[in-house]
Amino acid sequence: MIRIDFNRLRFLVIDDNAHMRRILRTLLHGFGAREVYEAEDGAAGLEAFTHNIPDIVITDWAMPIFDGLELTQMIRQPGANANPYVPIIMLTGHSEKKRVMAARDCGVTEFLAKPISANGLYQRILNVVANPRPFIKTRTYFGPDRRRLVNPNYVGPERRKGGKAEVIPQQSLLERVKVAE
Amino acid sequence: MASRKKDEPVVTTHADHDVIVPPNRLRKALRRHAADSIDPVARAEQALAALSTEFSGWMDSECARLDAARLAIRDKGMSARAREALFHAAHDIKGEAETFGFPLAAAAAASLCRLLEDVPEGQPIPLILIDQHVDAVRAIVREHAQPDAEQMATQLTAKLREVTADFLRSVNGGQDEDVQSPPTVPHAAGN
Repeated sequence: MIRIDFNRLRFLVIDDNAHMRRILRTLLHGFGAREVYEAEDGAAGLEAFTHNIPDIVITDWAMPIFDGLELTQMIRQPGANANPYVPIIMLTGHSEKKRVMAARDCGVTEFLAKPISANGLYQRILNVVANPRPFIKTRTYFGPDRRRLVNPNYVGPERRKGGKAEVIPQQSLLERVKVAE
Repeated sequence: MASRKKDEPVVTTHADHDVIVPPNRLRKALRRHAADSIDPVARAEQALAALSTEFSGWMDSECARLDAARLAIRDKGMSARAREALFHAAHDIKGEAETFGFPLAAAAAASLCRLLEDVPEGQPIPLILIDQHVDAVRAIVREHAQPDAEQMATQLTAKLREVTADFLRSVNGGQDEDVQSPPTVPHAAGN
């Protein structure tokens, strides 16, 4: 059975609500994480990101100074920081489809709607660790591949040019990893 | 030709986009566990249960924050800042109430969020509508242990949604889109 060794991961939790930060910290420690850093707004979050170089960022959407989307856009700047590829999990009370799409188009890796559950959070973390997606860089987008599924029957307009290589097979790391015992 | 360093991303360039495969630094955290080892999700749920003695007090403080945001609007008017404070307070309750053990309060808070989000820019919101929402959230939390709490909360929330929809229709030219789209990301079981 494949699981995550949480004490090998460093987390950054960004949420303006102290109660939610405490809940997230409790869940992450419960999973086994030791290194959990916190920030209470987007600006402090960006500073903590630069300073602590986390493996995974968990951020709220609605926050003062700048919000979770703006923070994501700042992190997803190639060359601007140590790790523009860092997995970003957005945890938010927004659950409407248009919000999910907006988060995706900003470069968020996983979306988790509140109310939070231990299982929901664990599954998102497992997904970013075990099934990392390639990044796509275009004139207007830099972030995880937004195509999670390859549909051989797709008949709509082709929005990426470049031949056969435009769809990248994404084999699950769970299937190919040789796990160190 | 220079060889690629192990920790550099692999970049494949296409006509109008690059495909970048970053080095997988998180792979180090994957481990094989025995089937009978302690489930981390169960362990986290236990930790959360231990924390739950705090939740009632936290819910009270969230309600007090919502009330303070309402009072600020009543005293000083609806500035952009005051409106944002009210929205954030309602939005936090919408997201946290179920976790804190007050699931019925989330729907009333969600109605207030919708009222604040869907009203056209610059359109005044009657204070009574805001009062009704804030008072309903507080009443649902205060009375949550009563035998008829669920019935009372359901009726209150239905009425709030109705008056909110009426108001939004009146200020949006008859249009009111109360569409709760299903999430587009896969949800794990029990999520």
